[in-house]
Amino acid sequence: MISTYMQMIALLEISISAAVIFIWLLQKLVPGEITFAMRILLLFILGNLLFWPLGMSMQLPLAAYVRGVTGDLSLVTLLLLWSSILPKSKATPIGVKVAIGLIAILFYPAALGLGMTDPYAWGYGSLVLLIFVLIFAVICGLANWAKGVWILAFAIMAWSVHWHESSNLWDYVLDPFLAVWAIYSIFYALYRKRREKAQSGYLFRAG
Amino acid sequence: MSRVIAFCFLMLAAVLAYLHIDRQPAWAPFEMVNLANEVTEDATETTETIPQTQKTHKASKNVAPSKPPIAQPQSNWLPDTGAASVHAASLIALKEGGGVRAFWFAGSREGAKDVVINSAVFDPQSARWSAPTVVIDRLRAQQDLSRYIAKLGNPVPARMTNGQMQLFFVTVSIGGWAGSSISTVISDDEGLTWGPAKRLITSPFINLSTLVKSPTIQFSDGRLGLPAYHEWIGRFGEFLRLDADKVIDKRRMSSGRGAIQPVVFVADEQLASAFFRQTRSSSQIKQIPVSQTQNAGQSWSVGQDLEIPNPNSAIAALTLNNGVRLMVLNNIESGRHRLVMLMSQSQSNIWNVVQVLEDDEALPHDQRKEYSYPYLITADGSDAHLVYTWHRKKILHQYFSSAWIKQSMSKEAP
Repeated sequence: MISTYMQMIALLEISISAAVIFIWLLQKLVPGEITFAMRILLLFILGNLLFWPLGMSMQLPLAAYVRGVTGDLSLVTLLLLWSSILPKSKATPIGVKVAIGLIAILFYPAALGLGMTDPYAWGYGSLVLLIFVLIFAVICGLANWAKGVWILAFAIMAWSVHWHESSNLWDYVLDPFLAVWAIYSIFYALYRKRREKAQSGYLFRAG
Repeated sequence: MSRVIAFCFLMLAAVLAYLHIDRQPAWAPFEMVNLANEVTEDATETTETIPQTQKTHKASKNVAPSKPPIAQPQSNWLPDTGAASVHAASLIALKEGGGVRAFWFAGSREGAKDVVINSAVFDPQSARWSAPTVVIDRLRAQQDLSRYIAKLGNPVPARMTNGQMQLFFVTVSIGGWAGSSISTVISDDEGLTWGPAKRLITSPFINLSTLVKSPTIQFSDGRLGLPAYHEWIGRFGEFLRLDADKVIDKRRMSSGRGAIQPVVFVADEQLASAFFRQTRSSSQIKQIPVSQTQNAGQSWSVGQDLEIPNPNSAIAALTLNNGVRLMVLNNIESGRHRLVMLMSQSQSNIWNVVQVLEDDEALPHDQRKEYSYPYLITADGSDAHLVYTWHRKKILHQYFSSAWIKQSMSKEAP
């Protein structure tokens, strides 16, 4: 059932994700806040532009060209990205970003060929990896970030029903874009903290 | 309250995931063909003479000159598609009639957008190849896979346990071959028509850089093991365990940047050796890297090199029903201008050249041609079909009958 619509679902996900990123960029460029209603309208228009074949010299919808580069995004990335468009969207805790960054730094070199141990292979059916993801989700909940519990639960569920082409749990909970975002966010947070500290030091420095 | 609901939802997801893991099939042993220990017997029974082919290395011992000579290995060109560049041919035996189907990619140049995967059928009665057909081109692949595809590469066919024919092939969306992924199509009619392409997900980094070149291995539960390889940051072999068009497990066969394109020799239900094309740096030794498994591919350990030169070029491997193993490779340290067939009649890794297929060693460097990407199969368990790229312009098919192989065995027997 899912396999019949797998390609269409994937294109729809990419269309929505690309539209959300465009809205986020637009928000950075324009003064003032784009209202929620306007965001939804933009999402609808851009999502449709990306999803449907536009003809001309293109053989595929725009989303298919994006997908050629990005592949399918993890459920965690999709849901974090999409939830950012909602009003009163709670920011991801820095602790979660640090955890994602650390896992990515350990995971990718090993998964891409460093040594004979391949952690990516655990994603095909390792109970240990599943328990690890569940514990991570429980910690998110205990740290008062219920959104993280929902997102990881959806990701685990999607893997169970083979929602994407991948049958590997890692592809549902982590991708390189999520890793880059997490690591960038950590450094940006550190930079901001240092700047704030420097500014407060300047303000209160003895004359 | 919302946290409680979230935890309940997580619990539901955990149950679903546990059921999913529980449904995963256990790792099965390798499927064994009827390996009979008839090597010595067969060899001594042979009375036919071996033909004086180009350059057979060892002198014939048991030649009976009064007997009529057996046929030379038959050579045929695969049909010309008019493409300027052809490469990476592979073969599969058809279910009936003793024929074989070949696949190869052809286009204006390797990696060009006009590259298609061609196919043709060899009829053993007439010893001719059929007209070529197109299995898949870039445009159809991108329609099926719902993503942009820039180019196609290496096709590798396999026989599924239900009798369907499956073809694995390489697709690239961005970059060079390092950006490859594996896709697959399935045919119900021996390769006349093909179902929609599906993508195998094998890498966590945008599914980049997994390629295929070598034949599949069958497990006793009917599933296939596909030797694959990465060639991006690392260059190493991987063993994929497949359930039709889905990867259900994979294991690393080597690590680092020195070994790609594994070919696997299965010795028994648990034991197998993988030989690789070496891609080491220029200061390192140019021999065939080896990995071994003792648990049907669940784990691999790197072994000692096979002391046969390898100039960073692909190897073809085949085990016949009587246990005799064949390899076709370039046994030189640089260039691809010499191609030979080697035979081993035991598991001892003693390999002897039984046939020099091509040799431009005597020619000046600029006149030497490239003979590469060999691929071996057997149609009846005792013969061998070989295809290889002939200077990137054509694909040459050579057929070695069981009589020829027996004669070669008798010459190689101690």
